[in-house]
Amino acid sequence: MQTRRQFIMRGGKLVAAGVAASAAGPTIFTRGAGAADKTLKILQWAHFVPAYDKWFDPFAKEWGAKRGIEVTVDHVGFADVVPRATAEVAAQSGHDIHMFIGLASAFEEHVLDLKDVVGTLDNKYGKQVDLALRSTYNPFTKKQFAVSDMWVPDPGNYHKKIWTDIGQPNGPATYEDLVKAAPEIKKKYPQMQIPIGIGLSQDIDSNMAVRNMLWCHGGSIQDKDANVVLNSPETLAALEYAKRLYSVGMTQAVLSWNAASNNQAFNAQETSYILNSISAYRTAQANNLPVLENYFFVPALKGPTGIMLASEHVMSGYVVWKFSKSQDTAKEFLVALIDASRESMLGSQLYNFPSFYGAAADPGTPMNKKIESGAAWIAKQCNNDPFGSKPADKLALLAKSQPWSTNLGYPGFANPAEGEIFDTYVITDMFAKAATGTLSPRDAMAEASNRAKEIFNKWRKKGMVPGGSKDR
Amino acid sequence: MTTAEVAIAPPAAKAMDSLSPRDRRLGKLMLAPALIYIILLVALPFLLALFLSLTNSSAGSLDFSFVGFQNFKSVAASAVFLRALRNTFIFTFVSQLLVIFLGNILARALLKKFRGKFLVRFLILMPWAAPISLATLGWLWIFDSTFSVINWMLKATGWLGPGQWYYWLGDPTLGMVSIITVHVWRLLPFSTVILLAGLSSIPAEVHEAADIDGAGPLAKAFQITLPMMMPILTVAVLFGVVFTFTDMNVVYLLTRGGPYNSTHVLASLAYQEGVLGGDVGRGAAVAIFLVPLLVVMAVMMLRVSRRAEVT
Repeated sequence: MQTRRQFIMRGGKLVAAGVAASAAGPTIFTRGAGAADKTLKILQWAHFVPAYDKWFDPFAKEWGAKRGIEVTVDHVGFADVVPRATAEVAAQSGHDIHMFIGLASAFEEHVLDLKDVVGTLDNKYGKQVDLALRSTYNPFTKKQFAVSDMWVPDPGNYHKKIWTDIGQPNGPATYEDLVKAAPEIKKKYPQMQIPIGIGLSQDIDSNMAVRNMLWCHGGSIQDKDANVVLNSPETLAALEYAKRLYSVGMTQAVLSWNAASNNQAFNAQETSYILNSISAYRTAQANNLPVLENYFFVPALKGPTGIMLASEHVMSGYVVWKFSKSQDTAKEFLVALIDASRESMLGSQLYNFPSFYGAAADPGTPMNKKIESGAAWIAKQCNNDPFGSKPADKLALLAKSQPWSTNLGYPGFANPAEGEIFDTYVITDMFAKAATGTLSPRDAMAEASNRAKEIFNKWRKKGMVPGGSKDR
Repeated sequence: MTTAEVAIAPPAAKAMDSLSPRDRRLGKLMLAPALIYIILLVALPFLLALFLSLTNSSAGSLDFSFVGFQNFKSVAASAVFLRALRNTFIFTFVSQLLVIFLGNILARALLKKFRGKFLVRFLILMPWAAPISLATLGWLWIFDSTFSVINWMLKATGWLGPGQWYYWLGDPTLGMVSIITVHVWRLLPFSTVILLAGLSSIPAEVHEAADIDGAGPLAKAFQITLPMMMPILTVAVLFGVVFTFTDMNVVYLLTRGGPYNSTHVLASLAYQEGVLGGDVGRGAAVAIFLVPLLVVMAVMMLRVSRRAEVT
């Protein structure tokens, strides 16, 4: 039992230590591996490129072993990441670190503010890529609720021979190219089931694909200030485009796809174009599939507005729960993970792209050159794929993918409302209904817009999302 | 002639009166584990769901405030919810009709003596024993929009012409057909076993006596078999209906409610809204929407079952 005097003395020392730490600039406040910090439990997804898990698990355990910390890594399927977080928050126990592959913003209230971790990393490596910051920071509450170590580009995957046969050997460059190509592909390859394979189903890949379509037509769910602006002529244009594309190049198959379906359809040469990261390509390589020699990539497609954007395919967001007993150790681990950005990228066979480009810089690079040096190292890997691409520069476009990649929530920051809209498929359903004629584009837009506003308003009442004055 | 007597069972209170105080204590003690289980794992979660449905609780937060019936109003105005409500009834009643009908045929077949009967019984029970996630993955391939083996077979036999294809999981109607098919496949073994037990328990003399009295097959079915099967049939139907009303596994694993939320049932929609979407209050409102109906159905069926109790 403490006396009032002891309490005040200890409190005073803590305040003094805090002031000293603040004066020294952002850094991680460590207290060494004390008795309470002897374990670290990490919840990690089962990576789409299984080789990554083989790198990550020993990395984490070795990191712990060197510090006398027992590290446990549990993997769950990507679809179980959020339900598992929900359960752990309800129980107020579980892992210390939880890795999200999308938005962690709904859990903001229960996670530590990781400004100190990001501050340390900024000081070490320079700023992180903008889309990573926009996915892990809430400017409204000013909380850094997660730290991202990696993101994944989402290029177009096209079948070289098929597109060459219709006179476009370099694949599509615009959304209009898809509409023009589809009938020709059907004519040349009548046995092909789905000439253009863009998902319109209740799954993660479709969720990204339809956002790309929306953004490139100038629409978005929210504006930069988190006002809901889905109800717009731009959204209508995107939906009318989807209807045209569906009628000439797609079938009901795309309404039922899961996250693996577009990979399977492309690898079985049942479609000529999909939107996906390189995981499907790595599967084709690993199994030496016939499609491999015709497996090529294009950047995000350009819309009629000239906008050329694609959602990141995966955005890691590591959170540290407030209920964690190993908070400082968890923060140290996150820094160590980002320190190992080169190994992480290679461990994932170039699937993961570092969120801090500077962490991939050559050793000894001066601070002001780190981001540039890191980018050069990343480009070197992509230009000469160490994992056996033929030609070796097949993945070269990925090195230049940052300008056409963006975050969920574009043109604003990610927030819980965007997360709920993503997880309940409001936008994919809007596109699917408009494309199939189940609803007119205008009615589909109205229905989705009403639901989006309802969701945004709910989160605004909780004080986690701004905006509302300019909702349409 | 021996006939089944249909009588009202003695009230529970009277039965208790006939017990000695020691037996009564023992009875309570024996009941305690089941009661504790029901209170902890059924009653409390149910009350919690009821409570949460009146709040704005979200998955990432332990704080909430009361919003009255706002969640129910919002949910009832949603087209997706109304579709899910309709699907829940279709899913339950169509699958139960099929399960009872097919289960009856199988049970009658299994009453006969034939070679390999043991193997047939074993195969019939297989779907019941298989983990639903594993089994549904198999069905996922069978109904896959691109690689469906049904379609490839139909194509090979000429049923499907060039350009024709069934999108089992990409079409709202075919999606429901697929879901019901898998659910019937899953529940059929249980129903068959229950009905088989019921049919086996009817004494052969009853049918022989009816034959002597000149009863035809229809008269025997409706005046002997059905009344005598009623208690066990009621249990099978009650279990099947409640199980189907509250089940989301098949829907979630096959279609995830798609295409465009058209194949959701209330349980899968509640999961999507409450767990995946993080809106716990709304999810709870969806989940408990059927409770009053289920209670009425359960009471009705138990009454029917009790009235028809064979003594």
